[in-house]
Amino acid sequence: MGLREYVIRRSIYMFLLVVAVVCFNFFLFRLPTLVLGVSPVDLMISEELRRNLTRDVLAQLYTRFGLVPDPDIFDWIYMFWRYIVNMFTGNFGISFVSQKPVMDELMARLPNTLLLMGTSSIVSIILGIYTGVKVAADPGSRKDVSAVTVALFIYALPIFWLGMMLLMTFSFYLPALTDGFINFPLGGTIDYEVWVSAKTDPLGSLVIAANILHHLILPMIALGVGGYGGYFLYMRNNLIDVMTEDYILTARAKGLDENQVLYKHGLKNAMLPMVTIIAMTFGFLINGATLTETVFNWYGLGRYIFESLFILDYPVVQAIFMIIAITAILANFIADLLYGVLDPRIKYG
Amino acid sequence: MSETKKGGWKDSNWYVSASSFWREYRKHKIGILGIIVLLFYVGMAFGAPMLATHDPSPNAKVAPTFLAPGWVSIFDPSGVTTGEYMPDPQLLNSEANDFQERGLRQSEFSGQQYAGSDSAGYVDLTWEHSPESLDMDWRLLDPTGHMPDSNSFIFFTQEFEWEFNSLPSDVNMTLELSVTTTGSFETEENSGLMFKVYMWLIDPSGNWQRIYRSFPPYIDVFQSRTIDLNYFDLAAGWRGMIEDETGVQEDPNDILKIAVGIAPTNNFGFDYNSTHTNEEVYDGSVTVTFKRVAMLVYGNYFGILGSTDKGGDAWSQLVYGSQVSLVIGIVATGLSTAVGVIVGLVAGYFGGKIDETLMRFVDFLLVIPSLPLMMVLAAFLGPTIQNIIVVIAILGWTGTSRLIRSQVMAEKNKAYVESARAIGASDTYIIFRHVLPNVTPILFANITLGVVGAILSESGLAFLGLTDPSAPSWGRMLADAQGTGGFSAGAWWVVVFPGMMITILSLAFTFVGHTLDQVLNPRLRER
Repeated sequence: MGLREYVIRRSIYMFLLVVAVVCFNFFLFRLPTLVLGVSPVDLMISEELRRNLTRDVLAQLYTRFGLVPDPDIFDWIYMFWRYIVNMFTGNFGISFVSQKPVMDELMARLPNTLLLMGTSSIVSIILGIYTGVKVAADPGSRKDVSAVTVALFIYALPIFWLGMMLLMTFSFYLPALTDGFINFPLGGTIDYEVWVSAKTDPLGSLVIAANILHHLILPMIALGVGGYGGYFLYMRNNLIDVMTEDYILTARAKGLDENQVLYKHGLKNAMLPMVTIIAMTFGFLINGATLTETVFNWYGLGRYIFESLFILDYPVVQAIFMIIAITAILANFIADLLYGVLDPRIKYG
Repeated sequence: MSETKKGGWKDSNWYVSASSFWREYRKHKIGILGIIVLLFYVGMAFGAPMLATHDPSPNAKVAPTFLAPGWVSIFDPSGVTTGEYMPDPQLLNSEANDFQERGLRQSEFSGQQYAGSDSAGYVDLTWEHSPESLDMDWRLLDPTGHMPDSNSFIFFTQEFEWEFNSLPSDVNMTLELSVTTTGSFETEENSGLMFKVYMWLIDPSGNWQRIYRSFPPYIDVFQSRTIDLNYFDLAAGWRGMIEDETGVQEDPNDILKIAVGIAPTNNFGFDYNSTHTNEEVYDGSVTVTFKRVAMLVYGNYFGILGSTDKGGDAWSQLVYGSQVSLVIGIVATGLSTAVGVIVGLVAGYFGGKIDETLMRFVDFLLVIPSLPLMMVLAAFLGPTIQNIIVVIAILGWTGTSRLIRSQVMAEKNKAYVESARAIGASDTYIIFRHVLPNVTPILFANITLGVVGAILSESGLAFLGLTDPSAPSWGRMLADAQGTGGFSAGAWWVVVFPGMMITILSLAFTFVGHTLDQVLNPRLRER
């Protein structure tokens, strides 16, 4: 089977997966309607409000959210059809709560999430690869054992707690102790005063960027540390595996010095699975980090999905779910292709 | 044959493999450490009812909010530690209770301390009056209002030393008493107005501060009275014992006395409607029995680990939290492993269409964002412990099934499976008797690491509020700390300890899992 056939097969498979996710999403968020017979609109408006609304307004409300009151089977089919059409045209409906298009709400938060997740992933990937390679050159050494222990410790650490500890230390106790010399904000994405004053400031955008970076540091460290353990262990184990291969022995026998063996022959091969992992990481970036974003009050998608879920803002949760799942599928697909392209030894199939 | 002859149970198959496994395992220090820590946690979970000092329910208020742990008071000698300060609250020690009668008619009063048949301590204060004795001495003027109407009365005291140099933030006293009456005190309609039960603070300078005065009706079964001291009571009792900036204190020493007594009231001496006073008529006795005189003093410090945002005991919640984490971690992983093993075995052994379908389903679950899906499911199903377990298990089995599948695919073409099939063994038999035992070693490490994931998921869900509202859990404690600005209030203990418990527990499982991996996975052992 050649590359071409492989790509086609993966594409078909990817398409099926997308269809499955779309259907699953439809039923998941209509579970309360299916099981309990309540529509999301009932949950949203109070009984009193409902009595005061005229029939027309109520009907308008339902159509606006693409719902049908007391649906029978044909209404279900109609709703499903509406849903499919909306999903594929990028119209995710209107948020129950803010009454704004879901897409606008998501777009307002997406850059923040990408910024936070992107920087922290880059930090943890670079650190993980670097220390992984350093340590794998000499497995079993004291350095190796302590690095692995640290990685296991990080693996066991609840990241949101790490965030709380950072926040407590650097935003509360240290500012008090050093008289404000070390001072990190107690959560948030940007200070409101900075946002307001920057509008009149000629260097406004720079001030805003600096302020956002100031807010970014702590959550970035928390997430960066949290991700580090996994990348480190993966890199180390891969490289140690590779270093037992025959071609490494050959390289050594050729008389190459240890550094060359490690970086040219070992690392290049050990990086291959790493690339897949990294590609998938970037697919999941959009996921956000619900817990960390909640701890740091970060204005991002992760926190938004959690908040929307608790105020039963289904259109929002449904849309985020959809986007995350499809991005993940795409990232998987790209990772698969990348692996095939990068590693000529791969046989497709 | 000779081997079986000398063989006891020690030669049985499982013993040999288990003991050789243990010989290998104990070489790993972190593995041993992990097991010790795990045993410690299991002990904590089982011993929770004994270890907990207060009600562990997250909504139970047992103290003011955000009090620091008791041991922190080492760094702050003047800070007040919350606790029970009466030396003998259960009234068991006769030496701690000092009886005293006052006034001209002391002979009418008597007091005694005794142990009841239920081995609880009691104190009786008795006032016996007969019409013959009429020289009750009434207090004519009492500007403070702190003393009883009669100069003659009886009380008992307990004293303790106040070793701190600041006022308590609050004091709650509990008094359990019953009243038995005889003679006129039993028959007369208004007899309840003739006497009162008092409670006083007597500061080291000898000033009395009345903190409690009883009102009828009185009954002869034990009832409990809770007295919340107001600021003036605190100031009168404690202020004199606190040093000022120059290190001088008003009172000569730091001994505070608590007095409990009974005394006749003015009603007994005067009668406004008729020609005779009650004093001339009454013939009988009043006995007040005290079962408990407790004084709970609230300060800046409380218990072993301080108090939470709702005034709960952080230590008790922490101890009970281990139950939730261990149960959810282990049961959820058990469930997901069972599902994962079955799916993996079936997919790997049968292959073909079945394998394809199952693995596509696994792929599907892997692309669904896991934490949001857990949140959605937990919110829809209702956040009880069972539902949280199910939700975590639903998403946790995919990794196991992939692992088992790959192992089975490697095993199933080996000669022993072929020969088993050749002699007519069924698929089920081959799977469970031949294939499964050979893939089990890999499974153990996978299970322990799965538990870590489940524990972390549980704490994350609890942090988001998806947890049993009545059960204490570490994630919930962190959520409360976060939601109420725990560390902004300076309460680091509600942030540090629950997280530490989660980390140490999952670290212990990680260590055990890592060691199992090294011991049971021969490919790794060669490194």
